[in-house]
Amino acid sequence: MFRARWYKVFNDLFGNKTRTLLIVLSMSVGLFALGIILSARTILSEGLAESFAAITPSSGTVRTIELFDEDFIQSIRSMKDVQEADARRNISARVQTASGEWKNITIFVVADYDDIRVNKVASQSGPWPPPEREVLIERAALSVIEAQVGDVVLVKFPNDVERKIRIAGTAYDPAQLPAQIDGTPYGYITFDTLNWFGESYGFNELHVLATHPEDKAWAQQVVNRVKDKAEKSGYTIPLSMTAEPGQLPMNDVLQGILLLMGMLGILSLFLSIFLVVNTVSALLTQQQRQIGVMKAVGGSTLQILGMYLVMVLAYGVLALLIAIPFGVVGARGLSNALAGFFNFDIYSMDLPPQTFLIQIAIGLVLPVLASLVPFLSSLRISAAEAMSSYSIGRGRFGKNWIDQLLSGANIWFMRNLSIRSILLSVRNTFRNKGRLTLTLITLTLGSATFISVFNVRDSLSHTVDDMIKWFNCDIMLTFDRTYLADKVEFSALTVPGVTQTDVWIQLPTRLIRSDDSESGMIYMFAPTVHPESLIVSPTIAEGRWLMPDDDNAVVVPSAFLQDEPELHLGGDIVLKLDGKEHTFKIVGTYVGMAILPLVYTNYEYITQITNRIGEADALMVKMERHDPAYVDAATRALEDHFEQIGVRVSMVSTINNERTEAEASFDAIVALLLVMAILLALVGGLGLMGTMSINVLERTREIGVLRAIGAPNRGVASVFILEGIVIGLMSWAMGAVLAIPISQGLNQALGQAVMGVPLSYSYSIQGLWTWLVVVILLSVLASFIPARNASRLTVREVLAYE
Amino acid sequence: MLEFKENPNKKGREDNRGVKPASHLVGLRDVVKTYHSSAGIFTALKGVDLQVESGAFVSIIGKSGSGKSTLINIITGIDRPTSGEVVIDGTAVHDLNEEEIAVWRGRSVGVIFQFFQLLPTLTAVENILLAMDYGGYYPRTERPDQAMHLLELVGMADHAHHLPSALSGGQQQCVAIARALANNPVLLTADEPTGNLDSKSTEMVFRLFENLANSGKAILMVTHDNELAERAQRTIRIVDGRIQDEFVNR
Repeated sequence: MFRARWYKVFNDLFGNKTRTLLIVLSMSVGLFALGIILSARTILSEGLAESFAAITPSSGTVRTIELFDEDFIQSIRSMKDVQEADARRNISARVQTASGEWKNITIFVVADYDDIRVNKVASQSGPWPPPEREVLIERAALSVIEAQVGDVVLVKFPNDVERKIRIAGTAYDPAQLPAQIDGTPYGYITFDTLNWFGESYGFNELHVLATHPEDKAWAQQVVNRVKDKAEKSGYTIPLSMTAEPGQLPMNDVLQGILLLMGMLGILSLFLSIFLVVNTVSALLTQQQRQIGVMKAVGGSTLQILGMYLVMVLAYGVLALLIAIPFGVVGARGLSNALAGFFNFDIYSMDLPPQTFLIQIAIGLVLPVLASLVPFLSSLRISAAEAMSSYSIGRGRFGKNWIDQLLSGANIWFMRNLSIRSILLSVRNTFRNKGRLTLTLITLTLGSATFISVFNVRDSLSHTVDDMIKWFNCDIMLTFDRTYLADKVEFSALTVPGVTQTDVWIQLPTRLIRSDDSESGMIYMFAPTVHPESLIVSPTIAEGRWLMPDDDNAVVVPSAFLQDEPELHLGGDIVLKLDGKEHTFKIVGTYVGMAILPLVYTNYEYITQITNRIGEADALMVKMERHDPAYVDAATRALEDHFEQIGVRVSMVSTINNERTEAEASFDAIVALLLVMAILLALVGGLGLMGTMSINVLERTREIGVLRAIGAPNRGVASVFILEGIVIGLMSWAMGAVLAIPISQGLNQALGQAVMGVPLSYSYSIQGLWTWLVVVILLSVLASFIPARNASRLTVREVLAYE
Repeated sequence: MLEFKENPNKKGREDNRGVKPASHLVGLRDVVKTYHSSAGIFTALKGVDLQVESGAFVSIIGKSGSGKSTLINIITGIDRPTSGEVVIDGTAVHDLNEEEIAVWRGRSVGVIFQFFQLLPTLTAVENILLAMDYGGYYPRTERPDQAMHLLELVGMADHAHHLPSALSGGQQQCVAIARALANNPVLLTADEPTGNLDSKSTEMVFRLFENLANSGKAILMVTHDNELAERAQRTIRIVDGRIQDEFVNR
């Protein structure tokens, strides 16, 4: 037989559907936010790794100047510690976009598209393998070259052969940096097509898979052995790289995102805890009178406690029924969006049970714990006291310094102003300080996170500015080889609009460690350093920038020192240039990533030690105007001009494009931050709505009194809406302060993960004002529904309310 | 004798909607009030006719459930009649909607509750000022002085800036009476106003009512205390939703 008290529980749950819905929604939004972050984090960290493993990523890459054939590939495959090897032809070509602009494109030529053994490329659309005299474009690259499948594009090879080639379809090559991020599109052709471009058969890029690819040190040894073998076979090796085992091309950014999600997960965990505690304690406070009645009719503490625990558990179960499935759907959507950014397909969306267990623990255990506090406090009140609350005024006001501060004695200057309803709202805010504290904690955390998200976005942008601003030029041209510096500089100055030029030289180099092992490929950039130089100091993390009279000084990226623990500021670094070892001194570190480390040294010194005096292979150009259209036109003019005088340009980049690409690499982080900010704002808003609804329920009799003394609908509603706004404004002010340490923490963690140094801190005033508007709107919306309901109550209804 | 300052603008009661020629301050004609609930249909008032003139002090007595509170709620617009007419100071209250009734009530009727029902976060004077803000009877600049004047009338000027929690029950009821007078209403209604007070406070409140009646306000007071009821000018006894007796006490 179902005992009577369980009927009460049932009726409480389903008799007041609006209240139940509100409580369940408040709890489920917090749990949903937590679920989406935890689940998406798991999917991304595990699913992406699994998907990446599916392409059999190489342990390293060795590139040759001279072409090699299948026999050499076989000889590498037969090496003892090589598990697998494969080769491609890698050609840096140019492609003309629909707008007429020439862009760099990397063309891969694969011998057998159905037998790619390492760094597997798959068909995405169209025929497979690519038909003769047609090209497949990497799927993330179509937008970069502004083309569609079926379009015919003009491609120019380094041998100056131009061919119109049809895009037959798309390929999926997750081993490459996504084209929308590094700006370089990838194309795939056959050797027949290569022949059509006038190029001979042969490979220049070897992908090696070591026997224990998970061991980076071992993989590096194997790659070095392959490189040595190639060198002994007479090949020149301009580049060899060892990959981080199992790491995606943009692993640093992914790690930054995962870290950010972890931190936001903790924040949303707190938010969800406060939301649950707040909602449940408000509910029990409201039930205090009924608890008194049950005590009066002989209910034991245990019996009554049992009833409320079951009720609270039921709310938790209902909230979880909403939060878990929606959380899974949301997490999968978010993961897919982020995977799309990394140009990855996620094969596995499986979620480990601990994600759900955390949600269930918070959804069920916390409400029970939260209900104990108000329940125990209600036990301290006698049955008579609990039932004698016919009068209004639940929640104590006037007892402490905050109330005194807001009392009539201290705001005498307002006595003559007609703002009683505002005073009523402001003071009502402080009536139930426990609930106010919980609501404020929830909303303040939401506010602080929202503002912090804007701060991080600003800081990212600020950091990109810092990274870009040291290039005091508009265009950078890289030539296919070194030319006389004077010749290229003077020629460039004849092009209209060019105001200043500077040359530099760039060389591939390798770090030689104390155990004689070599690092992967490092680019050495040697700019001319003088007071009017077009390259000014990058953002120095430690130490200093190059000086004109420096000889063997180098400046390295800050993240590089983390990867190479032997190196330190002020210490020596041995670099191999043109096969010879040279010792340099690290005079500074700059804010930068370690994906492709660039080290800087003086042009004069490098040209001396490498016998390239007076030569340069790169040119920086400053234009009289800096707008993108003007600079793009000037770039085309410069390319044409150099072509006419026989100087071959192999790569062109403009500062505008560099900035766009650098910002694009942070797009995923910014988008994720915004999604999280909106989610947290929603959680905070619903928390406030829950509080305001409970406030309305608690003050129902008071609403009757307001009506009895002549308050119109508007007057009643405004009391609650203003109260919501007061709470919103308080949370905004506190959130604005709390955002300072939170965003510093996020900047520190994100910067460290992505670039090895904290992001350049920036406090977003835009974020501050945006959140002010959002929080006011949220407050109005959150209190509008309860306030409207309050204003609809008739006086008789509310005065009869218990 | 209490004195009330008239509003020179008189803007408070200029709304002519539903206004009928006033032969009596309070006029009820054949008022029926029926409640429908899951327990069935209950008729609380069964065709009540009642007239009250300005300056009258009327007590309404009856047993629990007799309909006396329903009657006073109908007069103040807190409840609505199922049928019949309710005309207060020329306004046909039964024709107004809920919003209009709230505004009308704020300007025309002072409502006094058994449990005082002062807003706990506003001081004594602010409680009165809030009602003045809603009613808008007095010009904005005059309201603080008027509120203090009303507190003086009820002997609570010294406690003007105290929160209700710092006042005794009797003091709270005095402030509640001052609040009921905030917009200089023609009619005051009180449902068991002394039901929660000790005998000394009861006496204080009752004297206030007598003074208010002497100053021209009509007062309708529901009470279960026959002794107190007899001190009013006129007593109405309600039995089972009908006015059974009317006594003129003096």
